[in-house]
Amino acid sequence: MSVPDYMQCAEDHQTLLVVVQPVGIVSEENFFRIYKRICSVSQISVRDSQRVLYIRYRHHYPPENNEWGDFQTHRKVVGLITITDCFSAKDWPQTFEKFHVQKEIYGSTLYDSRLFVFGLQGEIVEQPRTDVAFYPNYEDCQTVEKRIEDFIESLFIVLESKRLDRATDKSGDKIPLLCVPFEKKDFVGLDTDSRHYKKRCQGRMRKHVGDLCLQAGMLQDSLVHYHMSVELLRSVNDFLWLGAALEGLCSASVIYHYPGGTGGKSGARRFQGSTLPAEAANRHRPGALTTNGINPDTSTEIGRAKNCLSPEDIIDKYKEAISYYSKYKNAGVIELEACIKAVRVLAIQKRSMEASEFLQNAVYINLRQLSEEEKIQRYSILSELYELIGFHRKSAFFKRVAAMQCVAPSIAEPGWRACYKLLLETLPGYSLSLDPKDFSRGTHRGWAAVQMRLLHELVYASRRMGNPALSVRHLSFLLQTMLDFLSDQEKKDVAQSLENYTSKCPGTMEPIALPGGLTLPPVPFTKLPIVRHVKLLNLPASLRPHKMKSLLGQNVSTKSPFIYSPIIAHNRGEERNKKIDFQWVQGDVCEVQLMVYNPMPFELRVENMGLLTSGVEFESLPAALSLPAESGLYPVTLVGVPQTTGTITVNGYHTTVFGVFSDCLLDNLPGIKTSGSTVEVIPALPRLQISTSLPRSAHSLQPSSGDEISTNVSVQLYNGESQQLIIKLENIGMEPLEKLEVTSKVLTTKDGISVSGFPLSSPFRQVVRPRVEGKPVNPPESNKAGDYSHVKTLEAVLNFKYSGGPGHTEGYYRNLSLGLHVEVEPSVFFTRVSTLPATSTRQCHLLLDVFNSTEHELTVSTRSSEALILHAGECQRMAIQVDKFNFESFPESPGEKGQFANPKQLEEERREARGLEIHSKLGICWRIPSLKRSGEASVEGLLNQLVLEHLQLAPLQWDVLVDGQPCDREAVAACQVGDPVRLEVRLTNRSPRSVGPFALTVVPFQDHQNGVHNYDLHDTVSFVGSSTFYLDAVQPSGQSACLGALLFLYTGDFFLHIRFHEDSTSKELPPSWFCLPSVHVCALEAQA
Amino acid sequence: MAVCIAVIAKENYPLYIRSTPTENELKFHYMVHTSLDVVDEKISAMGKALVDQRELYLGLLYPTEDYKLCRYGYVTNSKVKFVMVVDSSNTALRDNEIRSMFRKLHNSYTDVMCNPFYNPGDRIQSRAFDNMVTSMMIQVC
Repeated sequence: MSVPDYMQCAEDHQTLLVVVQPVGIVSEENFFRIYKRICSVSQISVRDSQRVLYIRYRHHYPPENNEWGDFQTHRKVVGLITITDCFSAKDWPQTFEKFHVQKEIYGSTLYDSRLFVFGLQGEIVEQPRTDVAFYPNYEDCQTVEKRIEDFIESLFIVLESKRLDRATDKSGDKIPLLCVPFEKKDFVGLDTDSRHYKKRCQGRMRKHVGDLCLQAGMLQDSLVHYHMSVELLRSVNDFLWLGAALEGLCSASVIYHYPGGTGGKSGARRFQGSTLPAEAANRHRPGALTTNGINPDTSTEIGRAKNCLSPEDIIDKYKEAISYYSKYKNAGVIELEACIKAVRVLAIQKRSMEASEFLQNAVYINLRQLSEEEKIQRYSILSELYELIGFHRKSAFFKRVAAMQCVAPSIAEPGWRACYKLLLETLPGYSLSLDPKDFSRGTHRGWAAVQMRLLHELVYASRRMGNPALSVRHLSFLLQTMLDFLSDQEKKDVAQSLENYTSKCPGTMEPIALPGGLTLPPVPFTKLPIVRHVKLLNLPASLRPHKMKSLLGQNVSTKSPFIYSPIIAHNRGEERNKKIDFQWVQGDVCEVQLMVYNPMPFELRVENMGLLTSGVEFESLPAALSLPAESGLYPVTLVGVPQTTGTITVNGYHTTVFGVFSDCLLDNLPGIKTSGSTVEVIPALPRLQISTSLPRSAHSLQPSSGDEISTNVSVQLYNGESQQLIIKLENIGMEPLEKLEVTSKVLTTKDGISVSGFPLSSPFRQVVRPRVEGKPVNPPESNKAGDYSHVKTLEAVLNFKYSGGPGHTEGYYRNLSLGLHVEVEPSVFFTRVSTLPATSTRQCHLLLDVFNSTEHELTVSTRSSEALILHAGECQRMAIQVDKFNFESFPESPGEKGQFANPKQLEEERREARGLEIHSKLGICWRIPSLKRSGEASVEGLLNQLVLEHLQLAPLQWDVLVDGQPCDREAVAACQVGDPVRLEVRLTNRSPRSVGPFALTVVPFQDHQNGVHNYDLHDTVSFVGSSTFYLDAVQPSGQSACLGALLFLYTGDFFLHIRFHEDSTSKELPPSWFCLPSVHVCALEAQA
Repeated sequence: MAVCIAVIAKENYPLYIRSTPTENELKFHYMVHTSLDVVDEKISAMGKALVDQRELYLGLLYPTEDYKLCRYGYVTNSKVKFVMVVDSSNTALRDNEIRSMFRKLHNSYTDVMCNPFYNPGDRIQSRAFDNMVTSMMIQVC
């Protein structure tokens, strides 16, 4: 006997072995359908329910095992059921012959046999036969169970007769010697008459009877027989059979103590199938029978407690039996099976330690060379048994060995599928779950070295069984959960092979369902790379939406009748905790910054990295990145475009690493820092792009400026130079621009810098269609600085507030700022300014000392004069003849403001206005030919009161006309001697008040050109009428004139000095107002 | 003569495992791992008795498995387990010797735990402990 039955258990000793086999060609499906029905009849009550017969069915049983039937009768095939297909009567004899051949195999031991024929109809069927049953087909065979019961009844009759036959056979008849196959040759030529031999025969027969009693349902009798047998055999040192007797004793006791069975599932099923489970159980309990009073023989009742072994004794006896078996090499299978049976009993008794010892022993029982399949079976059973006694790790160990055996190199067709299945079963033993979530919390718990090994094996097995998706999943799992335990080289290798696998079958986020009902959850690579920090970023300053204040106010008022309510404020505060207090804009690219690092010792390529969001339709724009080996924290920005409005929540991110797609949810990431992941998305707004004619500069404005500047322009200018800046605004968004507001602000003006051109004329509105080329907004630029020497800077900000589209209706706008940074270098400046009166009262000379502070030669020119060349650092004086200014005629600009300003400011402004006027009149320009740059120079800052007064035209305009011709210093009026000359003095009042009346006296004199003025001219000049003129009071902007006449008596050059009478000049008026031109008259000889 | 010494945490994962470098390390991992079944069994079987008697030594775990290697177990009051695999082929060791070896191991482990920089539950990387284990593995060989 060489084929162990690893499923054996102690209760099997009370069963009758029936072999069910197909004959001829019977489909497996049909056979097992019938086999299952036959198996359901496993327990039969006989003799008025006093005894129960147990049947063990096998569809395969090695005949050589049958030869051990005398040793233990449950190994003996006592019944044979054959199942066959037969469709025609012609085939019938042949079929029946086959049945007989089959019977021959187990012939020596069979009590009875049956043949079930399916498909045959006709007269053969009509013949009543006990050993053959006919059925038309596999469906129509309701009587199968009944037939089996009858069959078992017949088996029982044979069994009972044999039992009685042997049991009562105590006479002097020679008892035959029962023996096992390998003993037969040992007894050849032995003295059969010796006492020793007889005792041996008796002992063995007792044991045999005990077996039969047990099978026949007479437990007590069997115990008695076993006890007697043990005594007999012990005395003759027949160890093999002594072992068998002891084992029989154990089996009977186990059946008595554990009516539920020790064989696990099979036992339970058998018990379930019992027709009389309650009675069957009662039957084994002491006292049950006495209460019933059925058994009349009280002697057996007394012996019961004595004969039956206690649970502890059972184990001792098993040990003893096994030690006897172990003396015989040929009884290896018996020993092995005994060990297994003992283990099952110990498992029920929960004595794991002792059970493990039995198992340990079983492991070392060397049977003959086992086939690979048998080895697998053996290891699987060992694993199951270890599982049974609660040794999960040991169980997993043997299961793994079994799995490895499935694919041993010596096997021609390795069973990778079986190997994989077995490996999966080892997972609980290594406390490994294939759900990565179990690993995400806290540190890794488990025996990493063995777990890793198992995962590697799973990967390999799944690959060999041709399921790359599985290998990818397992390998991903290995990489994700065991990363901390992998060496650098292993990390490289695993990553490499993962890439190889995914090139054929990319890793997905779908759970993989295995045939065994196990589901492999997806493995997101949350550690490749490791994300430490997630931060949602605000839009760049230029694209940030702002809420219009007025509209906000409206919203509040619609929500609540109160202007202010603390309850609302409180609610807002709570909301703010969850939400981030900035907004994203529909249709605009939004950014989330992750701080990641690469734990791998090589460069990690992360592809298709994007955001996972909910709440708003979001178009994620995936990025690919490459992280250097063992990188520190590394910022990564993920972008996307929200397509709708609402509240968006960033749930996580997805990546593709080594060809495996991963969806990593932030909630599942340990040790991650986030500053909120929910943000509001507002409706779309237009988007302006700004471009300028000047290059952008990196120079940013001072941080104190407050506004965030999106674009900066920097320019270097000489003082007085002009630069035109063209700003082009382009709407690159999808929404129309409906509103644009431009404002400007000068941030810093240091002392002495003045700016012109700012602010823009006025805020204006303009509609721009999308995608239309931006319009050049005209420019504000010319700065004049009047400071000397060193470089000055000037900073200003241009703000473009714009809105449009749905965002506009919601009350949002955007702000675009352009920063201007101007560096002003000194060009020319005036060190001194003075005036000289010109010949005309309406003009004067302005003397300017011009200093060239540049390093270049430059020319200075005015509107009226020639260009003056100045070398670097040179100072020259230039004189400019200018018409005097009538400042009073200026409108007081800006007039409206003046009302509110204090007088000092008013004066300041007036001065400024004068300066501007003078500046524009003078038009002083400089040019640097070498640099081809030019600009203006201003004298404004230098004009003091005195100079100003000199330059100012008096508000009273005096005109003197000689003979109707206006007369000034330059012009010489000619007249004839003897003719009266008409003299007219006109006054135009431009001052805001009325002046006068005035009295004027004309005093003629002659200039001798030597400094002597001769006023004594009574003889030469005569007045026609009075020499004193009177002027009436003149209203503002009124005019008045007075007339007189002179008569020159001699030729000569005469000058007329018109003088005011002391008393008539108003004291409050400045003397410069009474500046009359002197009149030069040339009296000529009268023409004949 | 100890061929493998392992310290196992309460949650049954290795804190320290060291085996003779010549042999397959994984084999010892399996060996120690499977011994935990017996350790668990013994601990649960002894239950309260263990605490009362302060008997930490568990004795022989698996006697005669492959290569004639015996495994002995020892469990501290904090349920940290020590498992030692001993090569019994050349010298049969007396129980007392094994006991004293475990006691030495326990003392050294206590020293490790006293280190304020050691985080209970982390792998043991102490050099002193390592040296002690080395000495125990060489000792008799």
